Amino acid sequence: MEEKYSGQALAGGGLLGPVDVPSARLTRYIVLLCFAKFLKAVGLFESYDLLKAVHLVQFIFIVQLGSAFFMVLFQKPFSSGKVVTKRQWIKIFKHAVVGCIISLLWFFGLTLCGPLRTLLLFEHSDVVVLSLLSVLFTNSGGGPAKTRGAAFFIIAVICLLLFDNDDLMAKIAEHPEGHHDSALTHVLYTIIAFLGVADHKGGVLLLVVALCCKVGFHIASRKLSVDVGGAKRLQALSHLVSVVLLCPWVIVLSLTTESKVESWSSLIMPFVTVIFFVVILDFYVESICSVKMEASTCARYGSFLIFISALLFGNFWTHPITDQLRAMNKPPHHESTEHVLSGGVVVSAVFFILSANILSYPSRKGQKGTLIGYSPEGTPLYNFMGDALQQSSQSLPRFIKESLKQILEEYDSRQIFYFLCLNLAFTFVELFYGVWTNSLGLISDGFHMLFDCSALVMGLFAALMTRWKATRIFSYGYGRVEILSGFINGLFLMVIAFFVFMESVARLVDPPDIDTNMLTPVSVGGLIVNLVGICAFSHAHSHGASRGGCHLHDHSHSHHGHSHSHGHVHSHSDHGHSHGHSHGSSAGGMNTNMRGVFLHVLADTLGSVGVIVSTIFIQQFGWLIADPLCSLFIATLIFLSVIPLLKDACQVLLLRIPPEQEKDLHAALEKIQKIEGVISYRDPHFWCHSASVVAGTIHVQVVSDVMEQRIVQQVTAILKDAGVNNLTVQVEKEAYFQHMSGLSTGFQDVLAMAQQLESMKYYKDGTYIM
Amino acid sequence: MLPLSIKDDEYKPPKFNLLRKVSGWFRSILADKTSRNLFFFLCLNLSFAFVELLYGIWSNSLGLISDSFHMFFDCTALLAGLAASVISKWRSNDAFSYGYVRAEVLAGFVNGLFLIFTAFFIFSEGVERALEPPDVHHERLLPVSILGFIVNLIGIFVFQHGGHGHSHGSGHEHSHSLFNGGLGHGHSHGGHGHSHEHKHAHGHTHDHGHSHGHSHGQDYCHGDHSLEEMGGSSKQILQGVFLHIVADTLGSIGVIISALLMQNYGLMIADPICSMLIALLIGVSIVPLLKESIGILMQRTPPSLENALPQCYQRVQQLQGVYSLHDPHFWTLCTDVYIGTLKLLVAPDADGRWILSQTHNIFTQAGVRQLYIQIDVAAM
Repeated sequence: MEEKYSGQALAGGGLLGPVDVPSARLTRYIVLLCFAKFLKAVGLFESYDLLKAVHLVQFIFIVQLGSAFFMVLFQKPFSSGKVVTKRQWIKIFKHAVVGCIISLLWFFGLTLCGPLRTLLLFEHSDVVVLSLLSVLFTNSGGGPAKTRGAAFFIIAVICLLLFDNDDLMAKIAEHPEGHHDSALTHVLYTIIAFLGVADHKGGVLLLVVALCCKVGFHIASRKLSVDVGGAKRLQALSHLVSVVLLCPWVIVLSLTTESKVESWSSLIMPFVTVIFFVVILDFYVESICSVKMEASTCARYGSFLIFISALLFGNFWTHPITDQLRAMNKPPHHESTEHVLSGGVVVSAVFFILSANILSYPSRKGQKGTLIGYSPEGTPLYNFMGDALQQSSQSLPRFIKESLKQILEEYDSRQIFYFLCLNLAFTFVELFYGVWTNSLGLISDGFHMLFDCSALVMGLFAALMTRWKATRIFSYGYGRVEILSGFINGLFLMVIAFFVFMESVARLVDPPDIDTNMLTPVSVGGLIVNLVGICAFSHAHSHGASRGGCHLHDHSHSHHGHSHSHGHVHSHSDHGHSHGHSHGSSAGGMNTNMRGVFLHVLADTLGSVGVIVSTIFIQQFGWLIADPLCSLFIATLIFLSVIPLLKDACQVLLLRIPPEQEKDLHAALEKIQKIEGVISYRDPHFWCHSASVVAGTIHVQVVSDVMEQRIVQQVTAILKDAGVNNLTVQVEKEAYFQHMSGLSTGFQDVLAMAQQLESMKYYKDGTYIM
Repeated sequence: MLPLSIKDDEYKPPKFNLLRKVSGWFRSILADKTSRNLFFFLCLNLSFAFVELLYGIWSNSLGLISDSFHMFFDCTALLAGLAASVISKWRSNDAFSYGYVRAEVLAGFVNGLFLIFTAFFIFSEGVERALEPPDVHHERLLPVSILGFIVNLIGIFVFQHGGHGHSHGSGHEHSHSLFNGGLGHGHSHGGHGHSHEHKHAHGHTHDHGHSHGHSHGQDYCHGDHSLEEMGGSSKQILQGVFLHIVADTLGSIGVIISALLMQNYGLMIADPICSMLIALLIGVSIVPLLKESIGILMQRTPPSLENALPQCYQRVQQLQGVYSLHDPHFWTLCTDVYIGTLKLLVAPDADGRWILSQTHNIFTQAGVRQLYIQIDVAAM
């Protein structure tokens, strides 16, 4: 927290200053910054070690005391600058109080989740956090890049929270009952315990909160620092005040509790390093660098380096070699297992680096205004009305709101959405129940369902995208997305069916032991979800118009069965779900598709019934073979039900004449042939772009003395009757070919074209001879 | 009544007997170099899988059996490629008025999807393993992975060979190969991944080798039935394929390195990290392919025409008598075959035929092979 103000007080200089500083001059500042950040990482690791021996409040007191001492020494806040008024003193006092609380939170988080995680979470510069918050909570986010950055950030925090299995060892190794001696820490512990999370996770949450507080605090104190006469002076004064503040507490503490420190003198060196590295050096270097460079550049390099060095130290700090290198003869600690590097931490570090990079990148756009260019003098011009122009990049909540509105607008997407919600709810119940009862089978099943939901999400997205307007690039509109997503889902189902089939064959050969206790309730639940799906679906069916909405139902059931069955293995569990998604997109509003989807859902339900039946068989009669047989059956059902879907989708994708309009089109072509003045037609191509768009092209040869426009109109009318709504008719008279051959360059091209057509077997008509 | 189309009589309903059909397929497969190569690779793979299966049954090793099933699954991708290369040569008929050329794009898309699935599974497996590294039996890993690497190198060599051919001839062979080729590579990786994944069960390491095999096999398939001369895009595609293979090779180098690390230093974490890297490589290398094929399937305006088209529109609008131009649709049928439709509003007294041929001329120069222009005469 000590680098406060670095961004703000000097932001004016940093953001608006000359932008094109030659990079060569910046290099030494970057090096300096990197060095300072590296040392800061060292300091934090050191202070973690110190905190094991020294009480938290005492530690903060000493650090504040030391930094106040040095800052006062350097800055001379009393002898230089304006006189501080009484009102300002009160403000400084408030500032110091808040600062103390934040540093308390910070260091408490440090004791909870270790230096590496603290560095990862807390060392984000204000620029990054501000743009993260602005992406999340306002609508001037600044484009998809920022949104991506914010997503990365959130993923990183979640990784740290969920996938970092650090707490086990940490809890065993050092649940510091000794630290409970202070009322404050006790309160914090109680709060964390109340939240029901492990210490380590509590620490992560605490640090995120502290980070947000820090940024808010920096912004709030920006004005004060200007009033007082610079960030440095404010900093010095505030340190001083907080020393005074903490003093009574520390005295009380040291009177009431016995210290665990054997010799304070041996701690002087480490304390000095901490004070210098973490507070003073970092503060000064940050402020210099943010004057010389832009705050965003500063943030980028700084956070990158500090994360990297944190990772390095996290790996090597407790290594024997570093123990030797360190001069400090700290109290011996053997728990080299605590807060180790885990996969989750590495992943989240990578994500943090990415997000810090992205989020700090285009910050020259500014949070309030957008950069519109540079004036002739070289100063950047900002547009503070930018929000109105930035419709393309919306903030997350607004985006969610709008897409929700869009989803609910139409029947099919609404259906999908409700189903998705149902499924997700089911999944989460399952997950929570699994976590609660600590059943690995349920948890892995829940994750599988989550994965299945991704198919649903795709269906939903496709349903939304279908409604996008045609653009210059996608000139026919996005209707095809529906078909594509149906196709993808179908393929996906096929793959799953294949794997299930294989698995069940393997199980047929030697049926494994299955624990059936959980099976029935969960699969019944799945069946119910499924039945709801069928109801919704058949409803839609009867309406007719709605296409493909529902699909999603089934996921739930089948896999339950499986997952349970081999909770330990969790690989193949995915039977059931798969079906669900498939249907969604495929049905392009065509009746056949609707029927197919409906049958499909029916088959799914049968599958989940099959799981239940197999459970009953196993429970009642002990026929273990029933499970693989059932899955075999299910796999075959899936397979069979997917085939028509895939066939339809393939036909559309291969540009087949829409089967249900084939007859009409033939009749229409005959009619065209009979129009007065038409000699013949060639290359009639009709294809279904999406459910609603049938495109067609045709060349019509006419005798030379007929009105072209009349022919075009007649042909268009005839074909429109046949259902073609995107038609292009090219009317050719004999003279056309003479014209073509008359153009010398054109002739070559046309000749090439003709050859190409020939080789493609397009050549179907004798009249196409020049 | 006049026949609807001249080909009506040629279009017979498919009522051959099975034998004839199969022999016909054979002939069409063997007639073409690319599909022949593909076919041989498929046979090779299948025979490997069968040998593995039989051996597995004989020695009663579940691992080998399940591995051979994995290989069968891999073969389906190969089969899809082969089927596409055969289907794409079918003649167009009444129902499929453009012929079946799009089957290639579709096959590429399907293969890409499969690859993505594979990559995803490998990745999740890798993450799982990174969190708790299992005991891996790495005795057989090294020879098998080296074998895979060699096969991969052969793939690169073959590809470069294909490249030569390319330079002499028409370019899209590569593009085609891209479309069908995608899957191959991926699988190979997939193979690695898999083999790693269940190393505990002895046999599967085998799949390295093969997988590589097919991957590359496909790269140079499709070479010959180039329909037209190359467009600008095929250079990119060439690059894409090459990158892809390089990624493959890197992947197998990764496997070798991880095998070495595991053998010599006992760094078990190397295995999941390698498989994650491989999965990432597959994912990254497959994205352009997927993007391209989705673009084609969605009737996107071809990226190579995107820049040329506005100029063409301008030129058309400058033709004498043309008032305006609307509803332009340009799309890709299959690699490098572009089709366009256009509506022109012309003055009542304009010479429609001249405008028609001029417009054709303009767009033919831009590379549009088939153009349909509807000329609407403006009301007086």
